Amino acid sequence: MEPGNHVRVKVDNVSKSFVGINGTAEQVIKNVSFDVYDNEFLVLLGPGRCGKSVLLNMIAGLMGTDEGQILLDGVPVTKPNPEMGMVFQRTGTLPWLTVMDNVRFGPRMRGVPKEEQIKKARHYIDLVNLHGFEKHYPYQLSGGMKQRVGIARAYANDPKILIMDEPFGALDAQTRYNMENEILTIAEGEKRTILFVTNNIEEALLLGDRIVLFTACPAQVKQIYTVSLPKPRDTMQEEFLRLRKAISDNTDLAL
Amino acid sequence: MSSGVKIENQVENGKDTSARKQGYKFVYTIGPYISLIVLFIVWIIASGKNVKTFPTPWIVIQKIASLLVNPLSGATLIGHMLVSMRRVFVALFFAIVIGVPFGILVGWNRAFRATLGALFECIRPIPVLAWIPLIIMWFGIGENAKIIMIFIGSVMPIVVNSYTGIKLVASLYLDVGKMFNASTQGQLLKNIVLPAALPTIFAGIRNATSVAWMVVLASEMLAAKSGLGFLINRGMEVFDISLVMAGMIAIAVAGAFLSWIISFIERKVCPWNRGIMSE
Repeated sequence: MEPGNHVRVKVDNVSKSFVGINGTAEQVIKNVSFDVYDNEFLVLLGPGRCGKSVLLNMIAGLMGTDEGQILLDGVPVTKPNPEMGMVFQRTGTLPWLTVMDNVRFGPRMRGVPKEEQIKKARHYIDLVNLHGFEKHYPYQLSGGMKQRVGIARAYANDPKILIMDEPFGALDAQTRYNMENEILTIAEGEKRTILFVTNNIEEALLLGDRIVLFTACPAQVKQIYTVSLPKPRDTMQEEFLRLRKAISDNTDLAL
Repeated sequence: MSSGVKIENQVENGKDTSARKQGYKFVYTIGPYISLIVLFIVWIIASGKNVKTFPTPWIVIQKIASLLVNPLSGATLIGHMLVSMRRVFVALFFAIVIGVPFGILVGWNRAFRATLGALFECIRPIPVLAWIPLIIMWFGIGENAKIIMIFIGSVMPIVVNSYTGIKLVASLYLDVGKMFNASTQGQLLKNIVLPAALPTIFAGIRNATSVAWMVVLASEMLAAKSGLGFLINRGMEVFDISLVMAGMIAIAVAGAFLSWIISFIERKVCPWNRGIMSE
């Protein structure tokens, strides 16, 4: 299935401020609007700490907006919604649960029959190459493996929309590269709408169907790029390099 | 791919088998025995001039052997040990059953924190020893009075740790819970907050156990006809220092046993805890 034109998530003129330690309100997101289409891999790209995570938390329903609204299939998002799955930045694997129990956590909380939970969990554990680690606790896993657990857990919850908040930010370059390829394979295998946050231009270009480029704080949409190159992409290809330069030149801070 | 992952995992969690590490390991293994032997030698040298005031290790060992078979005040050494431990266990049981839910409630619910939590903070600074006169006047010097004393001493760290454990649950875990369908407060409490707080709660129980062990001895030295505290107090009264020392050794053994039990339960209840420190 190709990305459709059907709008799943609409971010409509959203702003958000936080009151800092010194009591003054600091705006982190300013008048942000963009659409997320059905089955597209949308990358939110921006300098570090520019409020992208806050935006994701609002889309996920973990945080409210100050102004504007976020619509999921036309309905305003007010609280976390099982339609959305999230891969957290700091993995967020629950240390007291084994890999298997972490992955089937979502279906279990939803009251899915146990056999089905396990079947589903097993499928995604295999998909992220963690077969044989079902009974391990997170402390027995490396950083990359923990993030795989996070990805399997998000998929096992059967979300329509997957939100990934800099999932590979804490990984070393080699593991990161491997994970990018794996996420591509998984995303091609099981089409979902994916919202992926990163501060890495190359990662954005490798993964995204479209890239929303943000300014530095407060985050505003600077430009939206459409990347029509076929995946998997060649980082040395001319169009890739051209886009890379274009985005790089258009970015506020050196990334 | 998956074999690469396994190697990575082994490096992180495996053992270093180099000769240097093994050499240190040998020192670490025999270290405790060496220091025990040194203690014995120092003890032998220091004692023996007047065995009445400072008995030799052999006299104390003989005393222990005799106490193991000949009852003193109706119980052998093991009997006295069991009496003291029973008091500790009964008091700890109530301290856990009451203290853990209380701490959780105060940690989880703002209204409880503002009312009961504040009250608890007022009472907490009073050391358990300061309660002793009141307890004796109200409850006498019997079994109940002892258990109440131990309870007061051990419930404090349990409440404090349960409360802190709940308060310190990372907001990330709460977000994970909410994002993955733990939608009610009850679900969050049961599936996220409690397991996340469990290691801290257990640390409180471990603290409480050592406090309880201290208080039971104090209460038995105050007034009792049985228990290890009674035993060493009796030794003092009849100036039998070998009895005092035998009692002290029994106290050390029983205390170590108690903390071993707690660690054992902790390992069973939170098998993941080994990793929390490194998270």
